[in-house]
Amino acid sequence: MATSTDTQEQSSDGPLQRWTQSAIQDPEKVYRALFYAAMVFFLVTTLFPFYWLIVLAVTPEGNLLSGSFLPTVNLFGVSGTFPLPVPKGFNPGAFVTVFEQVPFHLYMLNSFALAVTTTVIVLFVASLAGYVFGRLRFPGRALLMLGILAISYFPPAAFVIPLFQAFAGNAPITIPFTSIPLFTPPRLLNTPGSMVLPFSALFMPLSIFILTTFYGQIPDGLEDAARVEGTTRLGALFRVIMPLSAPGVATAAVLTFIAVYNEYFFSSIMATSPEAAKWSPIVGGILSYQTQYTTQFNLMAAASIVGVLPVVILVIVAQERIVSGLTSGALKE
Amino acid sequence: MARVRLEHVTKRYDDQGDVVTAVDDMNLDIAHGEFICFVGPSGCGKSTTMETIAGLTIPTEGEIYIGDREVTNLPPKDRGIAMVFQNIALFPHMDVYDNISFGLRLRDYPQDEIDRRVERAADIVQLEGMLNRMPEEMSGGQRQRVAIARAIVREPDVFLMDEPLANLDAKLKVHMRTELQRLHKELDTTIIYVTHDQEEAMTLSDRIAVLDSGQLQQIDPPLTCYNEPDNLFVAGFIGSPSMNFVEGTVTETTLETPNFSLEFNPSSIEGVGVGDNVTLGIRPEDIYPGDLQSEVPDPSGMITATTDILEPMGDEIFAYLLLGDGETSMSQELATNDQLLMSIDPDSDLEEDEELGVVIDRRNVHLFDSATGEAIVHDLIPYEAEGTASSSEVESDD
Repeated sequence: MATSTDTQEQSSDGPLQRWTQSAIQDPEKVYRALFYAAMVFFLVTTLFPFYWLIVLAVTPEGNLLSGSFLPTVNLFGVSGTFPLPVPKGFNPGAFVTVFEQVPFHLYMLNSFALAVTTTVIVLFVASLAGYVFGRLRFPGRALLMLGILAISYFPPAAFVIPLFQAFAGNAPITIPFTSIPLFTPPRLLNTPGSMVLPFSALFMPLSIFILTTFYGQIPDGLEDAARVEGTTRLGALFRVIMPLSAPGVATAAVLTFIAVYNEYFFSSIMATSPEAAKWSPIVGGILSYQTQYTTQFNLMAAASIVGVLPVVILVIVAQERIVSGLTSGALKE
Repeated sequence: MARVRLEHVTKRYDDQGDVVTAVDDMNLDIAHGEFICFVGPSGCGKSTTMETIAGLTIPTEGEIYIGDREVTNLPPKDRGIAMVFQNIALFPHMDVYDNISFGLRLRDYPQDEIDRRVERAADIVQLEGMLNRMPEEMSGGQRQRVAIARAIVREPDVFLMDEPLANLDAKLKVHMRTELQRLHKELDTTIIYVTHDQEEAMTLSDRIAVLDSGQLQQIDPPLTCYNEPDNLFVAGFIGSPSMNFVEGTVTETTLETPNFSLEFNPSSIEGVGVGDNVTLGIRPEDIYPGDLQSEVPDPSGMITATTDILEPMGDEIFAYLLLGDGETSMSQELATNDQLLMSIDPDSDLEEDEELGVVIDRRNVHLFDSATGEAIVHDLIPYEAEGTASSSEVESDD
């Protein structure tokens, strides 16, 4: 390697030393190298599972369990194992079978409807809260905000049993440690209510936090101007403050949407069985390709890919807003 | 008819246990069509007073009337006011047309009416052809005019302007000032204007309300505030550069100050007794170099002084004069006993560090009670004066 360098000035140095030299003179080079290394790492770790899903999805069911996904290749007499899994056969029909075997589109619709409803509720309520926390001064504000954040750190599992009991609707809620009944809640299991309510509560603190930061940065003068021009405080919030905080609102919306769209834990419990009619979400649908005796991995993979598409589209569309929302809240007047 | 009345308006803030009184028992009666300026140093309560009129702040006590209605607790939108803000506060996500028509659209005006009014407002502030621009594409002066157009398009009863020219450069400021005056003539509405710039207040307003520490100090036409200030604060605040203040004591025939004395007759002035401590207020233009003594109607005796620093302004020169032993006092006290500021003719060949005699026009010496700061008299007429013309000017306040 170092043999061909004698024409150069630093002929005694090896390539590593030369690279080090130039890196010291031009540190940007190192940062660039590190950036690419990190990029490649993240790309591989995020994209490889997708690739693996595609490989699984197009492999015919019969071939799934026989042989290896890493084929042996014979190239110019040298034989070895190809380092990347490739499909064993080609069966794009799996993407159609997915919908034939199980009403997967209904599961997607469930997830979508739950996510949209939750997002709307969260944005509306968190906007009100964000306005109060971001723009008003009142005693106990910091304490209340802290309380909201503290509650958001509770593990969701802590809420499951009491909520399930409540939503089952067959026993009255009692005052803690007594048997004095307060009220009997309606039966909400297997309805969107039993999912949208806890989702909204769980994802609210994050949105409140994001929107508080954004709404707090809108200059007071703009709100005053809107109020003098003829809006109420609420009108000013929705006509001026919210549009000006669009990156923040988009960030909160997308994060909430994705979180609910991917949610499984609560919905798998609140929908007593993974049926579309019981508002079971996408993951419930995917799991129904698994029966007592068979597991159709190819269909599960295909369903996963189909299920993730709406989110991919959403992120691509909203990408610019999210990035600017996550990285900067700066707003010029 | 939009007469604006404030009755005993008080605004107190509770700042972590400390009660801060931003506006203290303010009483104002502003006539329809009047252009009134609230002026005072920062923190004097002028903006808070305006906010209570706008409805952005609810006063702790007192009532506010606009026209015949009591509006004390009404939200801003129901008060028939429009406001121009110091930071302009255009909605950045709307173009000029949407900004101007915002209030009209909220009130569900028919589209052709909105178009007509926006057109006219844009015409008044000379913004034709810019209705589709976004605020960020405009210069400071243009934005300011959009803000004014947004205010006039609603044809409000009262205009509130909170330091609307504060963020503009000097040249634009003067230009916008004349435009505002033209606007006031054209619209015939009540305008309440907040500024900390006394020059702006002097040139624009019908009456000036001078505020300090939340209290109304004086409300009078600009020249009255200038010539007959009610107290030390108004005297020092109105006029640039500000009035010279010198501490003095009244004797039988003179006013004694540490470095000079002025002859006068205490008995001719109501409210002055021998032995009283008073503060003299002398405007820079009422001090003359000694060689002009004959031209001054009621000159004082010659006072010896040394020039310290000269500030040529073009149309006049400000000369800082040191009195007595020539020590510069750097005190922050209101009264600077050893220093006087004199305004002289630009052609004068005065040099720095030059010794000279100066005279003071006694007709324009203001006297204030040192203890209370209240004005006693605005012209000091000498005892021997044959002053037939000047005797009628003797006036005592409150």
